[in-house]
Amino acid sequence: MEKEARPSWDNPLQFVLACVSYAVGLGNVWRFPYLCQMHGGGGFLIPYFIMLILEGIPLFYLELAIGQKMRLGSIGAWTAISPYLGGVGLASVVTSLYLCLYYNVINAWSFWYLFHSFQSVLPWADCPINSNRTGFIEECETATSTQYFFYRQTLDISSSIEENGGIHTGQALCLLLAWGITYMFIVRGVKSTGKVVYFTSTFPYVVLFIYLIRGVTLHGAINGVIYMFTPKMEQLANPTTWINAATQIFFSLGLGFGTLIAFASYNQYNNNFERQAIVVSLINSGTSIFASIVTFAIYGFKATVNYENCLERTRLLLLNTFSLAEDSITVDSLSSWIDRLNTTYPEQFAELTNKLEDCNLERELDTAVEGTGLAFIVYSEAIKNMPLSQLWSVLYFFMLLLLGMGSMLGNVTAIITPLRDFKLVSNMSNELLNGLVCVFCLLLGLGFTTTSGNYWFTMFNDYGANFSLLFIVLIEVISVSYIYGIKRFEKDIEDMLGYRPNWYWKITWAGISPLLLITLFIVYIVNYIQGGTPTYQAWNKELVSCDVKSLVVIS
Amino acid sequence: MLEKILVLLCLPSALAQHLCTPGASDGYKVRLSIKTALGDQAYVWNENEMFLFRATLAFAMRTHFNGQMYNVSNIVVCDETPRVSFWFVVTSPLDTSTLVDRKDVEEAVRKSRNRINSAFLLTDKTLEFIGIAPTLAAPVYPDPPPWLIVFGVVMGAVGAGIIILLVTSVLQKKRKKNEKSEGEDDEEDTRVKTVENGTASDGVYNMSFSDDERFTKM
Repeated sequence: MEKEARPSWDNPLQFVLACVSYAVGLGNVWRFPYLCQMHGGGGFLIPYFIMLILEGIPLFYLELAIGQKMRLGSIGAWTAISPYLGGVGLASVVTSLYLCLYYNVINAWSFWYLFHSFQSVLPWADCPINSNRTGFIEECETATSTQYFFYRQTLDISSSIEENGGIHTGQALCLLLAWGITYMFIVRGVKSTGKVVYFTSTFPYVVLFIYLIRGVTLHGAINGVIYMFTPKMEQLANPTTWINAATQIFFSLGLGFGTLIAFASYNQYNNNFERQAIVVSLINSGTSIFASIVTFAIYGFKATVNYENCLERTRLLLLNTFSLAEDSITVDSLSSWIDRLNTTYPEQFAELTNKLEDCNLERELDTAVEGTGLAFIVYSEAIKNMPLSQLWSVLYFFMLLLLGMGSMLGNVTAIITPLRDFKLVSNMSNELLNGLVCVFCLLLGLGFTTTSGNYWFTMFNDYGANFSLLFIVLIEVISVSYIYGIKRFEKDIEDMLGYRPNWYWKITWAGISPLLLITLFIVYIVNYIQGGTPTYQAWNKELVSCDVKSLVVIS
Repeated sequence: MLEKILVLLCLPSALAQHLCTPGASDGYKVRLSIKTALGDQAYVWNENEMFLFRATLAFAMRTHFNGQMYNVSNIVVCDETPRVSFWFVVTSPLDTSTLVDRKDVEEAVRKSRNRINSAFLLTDKTLEFIGIAPTLAAPVYPDPPPWLIVFGVVMGAVGAGIIILLVTSVLQKKRKKNEKSEGEDDEEDTRVKTVENGTASDGVYNMSFSDDERFTKM
């Protein structure tokens, strides 16, 4: 019986672009700038690059080698290495499944914001008017209009994870669209994915470049870039900095999901993946730095706008209380006027003290945000203040979509490739299997579009994959180095590439990376135990703020 | 004689003036921010502008109370500041020593707010009546909401794309099947022979020989 030849990429460039599209994801945009800011600005690049060399590139190379050699998905590849290790592959598939369930919800939000950008006034720019038309809705007044739009109109969030509501139809429609597009991109397997990645991997750079130019020309952007890139070297003494650098490299490259094994399994046997591994890892890190420059410029702009609005409000308050002529106090003379008024009218001034805000540019710059808060609240706040905001909004959310979709393609491929290797399933047509997987994930993903969905999302995002990935990759590197044997692995690579890997690779696989991973693993467990009951931030409708609630695991 | 007439004329306004005090229970404070609104084209606030204000307010009172003849003299202003803010009270046209109730003044201002604003080229934010909340413009909700239209377009395109891809792959499979069934008869025999021999056959296999072998064995 003739067996169908394994499908393969049309050319090696497609493989490289697929890896880039997968690795460069939302984390590069919303996690790295936060870490950079928290751990000493420019100084954070030192531990980041050290970890990249010690841990990131070797592990990336390892996974590509396994995939290209075994020419099977993660379950098949690990079973081929040793029949007892098939569980590692299965763990990868399950983790990828978790990720697929909740990751497309982010794409659904991006679609929601993208579609809402096609309006004359961006809906998050102003608060909606209340029922008797005397002012704005109270919840929106106390929070900001961008927060209100995200928490109330996009998510319709409830106040805790226990309170369930109905499905938000708009979100459900956007999720359906997200899965429809995912299906369309993977329906023919590598043949369709290979063509799509030309666009999903390159267009985000176009947008980032445009945003870079727009960002640095914004008023006050330079404040942000300078403030955040100024290295604070004392942070390097803090072990958390190094742990976070290692963790960020690890998760940013997408190791342990089985995607890299799946992608590499479609390669030609003699494809030079060593060069490609180095190139993709460097591109991934370079993109993180590039994205942080843009993010810091946006932060600087937002902080400057808020600061100047604060000064303007103070000026108005003084004018109105002391009934001075409009042009008497300017923003520059504000501080001297405050002193003068304090001395001449002390009692009246004393009444003002609780209304008088303390406007501080550095404090505005210090607000560090990460995750969905950065992407959907901070950025949209900055965008609404830009001229031609609809254009910038469309560009930005389209870029988020492409980044998210690129990563989704990788994750879905990581599930489908091992499934196809099973005899039971290989008789099914490509389209049918892919369709079943997408429909299954869509139906389960609808749970994230309910009113408490964001809390479930946070739970999955924070706790779903982190621990298992560390464990999976640790087992991977130990089994390849010690169970399969470095000698055998070397021979396999020589068979594929024509030369043996040099001492750097062997030292990192056998020694440095396992040690680093064990350290991360132990730190994670210790933090988890010391942290007590895990908590999450809940949006409190009455207080209109986020308070911390404890996550009680339902047993 | 003349002095008496003068005193009599001045008396009502003098009497009315004491009714206007900052913080009066039936009065309102007004604040204008002309420079903020108009920038370079800001006009200077003077007596004439104040007259216009009193006239506009009288107009507002007349519009609200249809029939009662309010006059400029019924609007009493006091406590002007360089900020351009002042207090005003409205006296009743029938009796200049009584004030019009605060609620009626509020309703009158609310009704004609737009006209008052445009008389001064200002907006709700730059011409403030402290205590009278502006009636905001009713929100326009186009039906269907615009995002749904864009969603419909994209969803339709994706649906069409999926259907096209599925249909073309089904057609491709059908074509492959037809091609296979034509070449199958030739392939089957050679395949069987190759398995028997265990090695790859070189040269063209002549099937007549194999039939002869069977006969001779018998």
